[in-house]
Amino acid sequence: MERGTVVQCHADRMSGILLMGVGGGKRRYYFEQAAAQKGISVSFLDWGELLASEGEGESKPGHGEEGALAWEKAWSGEGAPSRKDLRRWVVKIDPPEWESSRLSQLEELTGRYGEWLRRLSRLPGGNFLNHPLDIEEVLDKRRCKERLAREGVSVTKMYGESFSCGEELLAFMRDRRIGQVFVKPVTGAGAAGVSALRFSPKTGRIVLYTCGILEGEEIFNTKRMFRLEGKEGAAFLDSLLKLDCAVERWYGKAVFGEYSYDLRVIVQGGRIDYILPRLSKGPITNLHLNNHSMEFGDLRLDQGTMEGIRELCFKAAACYPGLKSIGMDVLLEKRSLRPRIIEMNAQGDLLHRDVYGENRIYGRQIDIMAEMLKNLPD
Amino acid sequence: MLGLEKAAAANGKMGKSKTYCNDYEDYEEGKNAKTLVEDILNDPELPQLEELIIGGWGEEFDESCQPIIDGIAENADKFSHITKIFFGDMDYETCEVSWITQGDYSSLWKAMPQLKDLTIKGSNDLSLGVIEHENLESLTIICGGLGKDVIEEIAKAKLPNLKKLLLYIGIEDYGFDGNADTIRALLADSDFPSLIYLGITDSEIQDELTEVVLESKYIRQITALDLSNGSLTDKGGKLLLEKLPELPNIEILDVHHHYLSNEMMEELQKLSITVNLAEQEKPYEWNGERWYSAMLTE
Repeated sequence: MERGTVVQCHADRMSGILLMGVGGGKRRYYFEQAAAQKGISVSFLDWGELLASEGEGESKPGHGEEGALAWEKAWSGEGAPSRKDLRRWVVKIDPPEWESSRLSQLEELTGRYGEWLRRLSRLPGGNFLNHPLDIEEVLDKRRCKERLAREGVSVTKMYGESFSCGEELLAFMRDRRIGQVFVKPVTGAGAAGVSALRFSPKTGRIVLYTCGILEGEEIFNTKRMFRLEGKEGAAFLDSLLKLDCAVERWYGKAVFGEYSYDLRVIVQGGRIDYILPRLSKGPITNLHLNNHSMEFGDLRLDQGTMEGIRELCFKAAACYPGLKSIGMDVLLEKRSLRPRIIEMNAQGDLLHRDVYGENRIYGRQIDIMAEMLKNLPD
Repeated sequence: MLGLEKAAAANGKMGKSKTYCNDYEDYEEGKNAKTLVEDILNDPELPQLEELIIGGWGEEFDESCQPIIDGIAENADKFSHITKIFFGDMDYETCEVSWITQGDYSSLWKAMPQLKDLTIKGSNDLSLGVIEHENLESLTIICGGLGKDVIEEIAKAKLPNLKKLLLYIGIEDYGFDGNADTIRALLADSDFPSLIYLGITDSEIQDELTEVVLESKYIRQITALDLSNGSLTDKGGKLLLEKLPELPNIEILDVHHHYLSNEMMEELQKLSITVNLAEQEKPYEWNGERWYSAMLTE
């Protein structure tokens, strides 16, 4: 966008780009930097203030109008929008900061966050980079994958059954001759609680790779990978399955050198803005686990594979027209390099390799939001 | 790449190689080790191959590769041109090394008299039987723990042309039920007159094994010494510094994946031989103790 056509955001006009996020975080800093480079200012609302005000008095999650009081209270700063004039704003919703690493609490926090997203969707206006109801749906790995599968998008297979304890899951694996699966809390962010399980029906031996640790009956998320065998693995699995978990097939990932990798693909406004290969020496690939990343071009994938990735991502993005910025985790099957969506993230746009470089992803978001702002009805 | 492989590659002697494996979908369709050997036998390219690489055969964690070994032995004439075989070339996502179910290779020695190079990955249920082979030049076993019984089979082997012996020793939890004396006995009892590459690697008693190797009869015979992927510390490094200058036959020392100090690395670098010092590791500290791990165990 040309500088001259930029829609300026002034408090007195009570319109502009609004970021809901976490004060002092990288997401805010690089988003605002991208905006500043284009001569656009960004208003900011801190999730911390919003969530803190929620506990005061009558404003409880689940009560639309009452919840709105917390909303106005948190947004009461000078020049800040109120719910009454939100229609003049284009809003980007970043995730709040999760203060707990306890998985059961993360489930609860995600539920509370989901309530806020629903509340946001009910407010007048509704000019969102990513619509809150779609953000909420995508946060639920099961719902998101079910929608993708319904629409014929190639995804990593999720088993329909649910399991309340390790023995149930192992019996299922024994019956189906399945040797290895992923177990994922459906509402977990990132790799929280994600575990790769291998099971030998003949010997009963199990091994579990996870970045969680079990203390008592509670699982805590860490940034380290652990390998658990025998009773230790079984106890972890039992505790994990007390949460709402999806069980998925474990596919062998494509290999580059001595690493396996998958791709984080950023699709924004009908375009692929970034593809980041994430390398790992273990079955779980996640940038929070200090895995490596590399330039996509260095993979030297053939044209057919590149086209396959492109088509898959556009098809997946088309399932969520309300999301103008999506981070997709794409697995390339070992040998065939057939792409499959592992999961999607409506807030998976922070890639260090990008923000420390061109800051292309946030720059593009600013362009999209400025365009939306320009097209708002008077 | 060190030693024999490098030489072979440089001379352009690498023949046509093909990998055969069953992936997860093949496995779901009912394919297994038995069908894999049928696929190999029915492959029109088989007569042109020099090397066979056998990847996963399906359910490797429960099912042995025995049908493949047997299938080759039963159809020996169809494999008479194959000089190189790798059984079990798979990464942890297919099956981690400590879960691979291997087989009994007794029948292979007679069935493949032309075989020069054999690599085996995994040591569960592994047996080499009575090894007697005129032409085998290279034997590599990659595993997380090599059983004493297999080590003893190697010690008794009649391999007059064996040039390269590379063993991943591994740890007790995953099958190594011996100690430094087991390796001492292997090196004392075996008779490999052509050996030029000795690899005693991937051990958590790498310092002790360094001493054993340096005291063995092969140390004045070999040109390449491989002590890589283990827990080598300055204790073992010091032994190497003391002994290697007296051993002009040794041209290559591979100790990559080690716990040597910077000072010791500098000293070893000064030796007038090729030294691979890549992958300097740091011990894992926990509860005031330091843990030194081998590269491949699980």
